[in-house]
Amino acid sequence: MILEINGLTKNFGGLTAVSGIDIKVNDGEVLGLIGPNGAGKSTFFNLITGVIPPTKGKIIFKGKDITGKRPHEIAELGIGRTFQLNPLFPNFTVLQNVISSFQIRPRSNWLDTFFNTPVYRKNEAYILEQSLEILNLVGLYKVKDELAKNQPHGYQKMLGVARALAIKPSLLLLDEPIAGMNPDEIDNTIEAIKRTSQRGVTIILVEHNMKILEICNRVVVINFGQKIVEGSPQEIKENPEVIRAYLGSGHDTKH
Amino acid sequence: MGSMIAARDSSSRRKNYTQIILYGILICFLLFIPLFFQSPYVLHLFILTLVYIIAAASMRFIMTSGQIPLAHAAFLGLGAYVSAVLSKHVGLSPWLSLFIAAFVAMGVGIFISFPFARLKAFYYAMVSLFFGVGLLQAIESLGKLTGGLAGITAIPTLFNTASKVPYYYCFLALTLVSLVILYRFEVSRIGWNLKAIDQSYLVSSSVGISEVKYRVLAVAIGCFFVGLAGGMYANYNVTLSPSSFDSSVTLWMIIYVTIGGMNNFSGPIIGTAVLFLIPQYFSGLKQYAPFISAAILFLVIFMFRNGLVCIPGLLMAFYKRKKSTSKSR
Amino acid sequence: MAESTILLIVATIVNALVLSSMYILLALGFTFLFNIMGILNFAHGVIYMIGAYICFYMATVVGINQWLALLISVAVVGLFGIFMERFIFRPFFGNINSIIVVCIGLITVLVNAVAISQPYNVQVTPAFVQGILKVGIVSLSWQRIVFFLIGVSLLILVLLFINKTKQGLQMRAVAQDLEGAILQGINVHFVSALACVIACALAATAGSLMGSYLSLTPYMGNDIMIKVLEILVLGGIGSINGVLFAGLIVGTLDAVLPIWLSGTATQAIMMLIIIVILLFKPQGLFGKEVRA
Ligand SMILES: Nc1ncnc2c1ncn2[C@@H]1O[C@H](COP(=O)(O)OP(=O)(O)OP(=O)(O)O)[C@@H](O)[C@H]1O
Ligand SMILES: [Mg+2]
Repeated sequence: MILEINGLTKNFGGLTAVSGIDIKVNDGEVLGLIGPNGAGKSTFFNLITGVIPPTKGKIIFKGKDITGKRPHEIAELGIGRTFQLNPLFPNFTVLQNVISSFQIRPRSNWLDTFFNTPVYRKNEAYILEQSLEILNLVGLYKVKDELAKNQPHGYQKMLGVARALAIKPSLLLLDEPIAGMNPDEIDNTIEAIKRTSQRGVTIILVEHNMKILEICNRVVVINFGQKIVEGSPQEIKENPEVIRAYLGSGHDTKH
Repeated sequence: MGSMIAARDSSSRRKNYTQIILYGILICFLLFIPLFFQSPYVLHLFILTLVYIIAAASMRFIMTSGQIPLAHAAFLGLGAYVSAVLSKHVGLSPWLSLFIAAFVAMGVGIFISFPFARLKAFYYAMVSLFFGVGLLQAIESLGKLTGGLAGITAIPTLFNTASKVPYYYCFLALTLVSLVILYRFEVSRIGWNLKAIDQSYLVSSSVGISEVKYRVLAVAIGCFFVGLAGGMYANYNVTLSPSSFDSSVTLWMIIYVTIGGMNNFSGPIIGTAVLFLIPQYFSGLKQYAPFISAAILFLVIFMFRNGLVCIPGLLMAFYKRKKSTSKSR
Repeated sequence: MAESTILLIVATIVNALVLSSMYILLALGFTFLFNIMGILNFAHGVIYMIGAYICFYMATVVGINQWLALLISVAVVGLFGIFMERFIFRPFFGNINSIIVVCIGLITVLVNAVAISQPYNVQVTPAFVQGILKVGIVSLSWQRIVFFLIGVSLLILVLLFINKTKQGLQMRAVAQDLEGAILQGINVHFVSALACVIACALAATAGSLMGSYLSLTPYMGNDIMIKVLEILVLGGIGSINGVLFAGLIVGTLDAVLPIWLSGTATQAIMMLIIIVILLFKPQGLFGKEVRA
């Protein structure tokens, strides 16, 4: 078990965005997290990665309690993530986005960095090579020298994934990775996610699009901040409660 | 960072050489300035320009991390007063007090930036503005040491001579060294991380960049150099008064940076040189002189949105376009 | 309680109310510009100063009735607002450094122009209202009461305008979601110009009145700009409730602290208070938290 979450709760003033969620994530699995708009999925990610502190509850990653740690410390422990909106550094090129995301392994100390020593240059050369490889994986190699902000929406989202991969995560949290993509880009991204998973990275992904459920080993459904069911993708698709949650919310589920 | 530079396209190497040659010519020119301009007043202006160049460049360095340090002139004052007090009242050598001043400014900068690192954009700018006002007030209220509102006089100088030439060369060297250090920081991974935080602190923290650490680092480095500039100013100028460091001076520093070009390392250097020296030429106009500065501001900001540094690029583009149209005919 | 103490307390309360209402008028205009155009108009203080001098000039040199002078000042400065929107704010939409530069250019020009043209550094506009109100032992000048009432009624008018009229609704729509507003066919330039006119008119009103309440100097705008910035940081930039609340606090402190402290010490204490509050509430008292 790589991640264990006990009774995670977050109140925003009067609103309980996440309420008492328990989830266990096994090593190497792809876990889908679905739920209608405003269900608390992004908040759940923000809690795990320390962007906002939880009101109550515990988050245990690889046997260590990481509740209340700062986002950069959590990144260092090996949890990578993407954001639903604005997933990148707009004024860097695509390649610079990925290079900037290599902060942890390898890391040069300040003296090496300042004096541009061989150690630093070796590290940077390695980072460049790795970055190009990641861009190949997500299919952005061809636009590597263009500014990130000038890229179409789908590319920006993929770049978000590329950035998250740069920290060499053992757990990857993807917030709506294929929302707003065209079918080609969707296939591309799903392929990249599959390959990442094959390398042994555990993945939790939030998505409205049912298509992506096919690559999940397990799916958890939340609504109003609470876990309502969990099971295999097949079970979830047929579960009446899930259908009600989606239809009841009055939102298009973007099938 | 190294890989960032490698990531640029191949034409950059040739550009690098032309740049080096241009910088060489510029530095030679700067070395000969005392021969061209013998008037002590003109040399005085050049010396002050060098001091403000360090101040503006260090301010821009902090600004690359997305923080607008509106206490920067107060930190210039802090450096100046610390160096003045140490060399006058404690009796330290001005050369030593100069560097102690830089470290004191850095220490105060670090001390405030831990709590201030919680504040974003506008709030940081305003709180640092208020802090700057308070810092200057504190300096002023230590009347015994600092002479209060009237200021401090008879500060020991760096050189035992009335000539300004040694100051010019000494400050030129200090300025060049400071700029080289700031430049090394900027093009290294540290500089890129500062720019990353500026663009999105959420994204940068999600890849392991500690927002607080880098924001504090930016302020520490920036304040060190502005403290150094302050010390240089004090031990050159002999007298100090608080009004030389109030918030309007900070605003002028922002103008130097912006008019020169915020997105370019040489922006504050060019901005300071142009905006500090040109209005001095018109100082004979007395109370009408500020209008010259304002006119320059409007002219530059409306014509060159990205500052004076973008002029060569614009000229180049214009030239290329002209060439291509004449070819196609 | 001694008679003099009661007099002091009443005078201080009235002073606090007048100062607060004038500060709020200015800060409200600044907030409009920020919410609708994303502009930090650092020249707002100078607009206030110009408003004050136009009114002063009309009332003393030209010699017309003060109230007429006030209206002329508001009209002229309001028109200047349209000019500012078109030629100063619109070209630099969203570029804070450039806005600072342009505002400082504007401040330099206007302050120096006034300083050169006005041989005396400190002047006072003749009183708008004569007479003294006596209630028991307490006596208050009618002018103060009238200024406070003007401030409050303008405030209510503006709040009614943005909450009840069609144009006000459009302004709020633009403030909330610029792109959405454009898609809905709202004329963003018109709305921005309207916001500018209102902001400038409010500033001119406050300036004209303060020219008689305190005095006129070419630098009066810089001092009040600091007050406005204090209110905005304290209340949380962009929040109208924040402006009202922080305006009252800053105005009150400004009336109370000088009883014991010197002017510069008052300023320093006020800034210290604000810094400390900000360290606990990094977005000000009513500011919106940055969403993740
Ligand atoms: N920082 C915040 N402050 C206050 N309320 C918040 C904050 N962040 C989220 N919320 C609220 O918490 C609830 C859950 O939001 P969240 O973004 O987690 O939903 P979501 O499941 O990701 O929805 P979507 O599918 O639209 O992305 C929403 O009602 C939202 O308005
Ligand atoms: Mg979400």
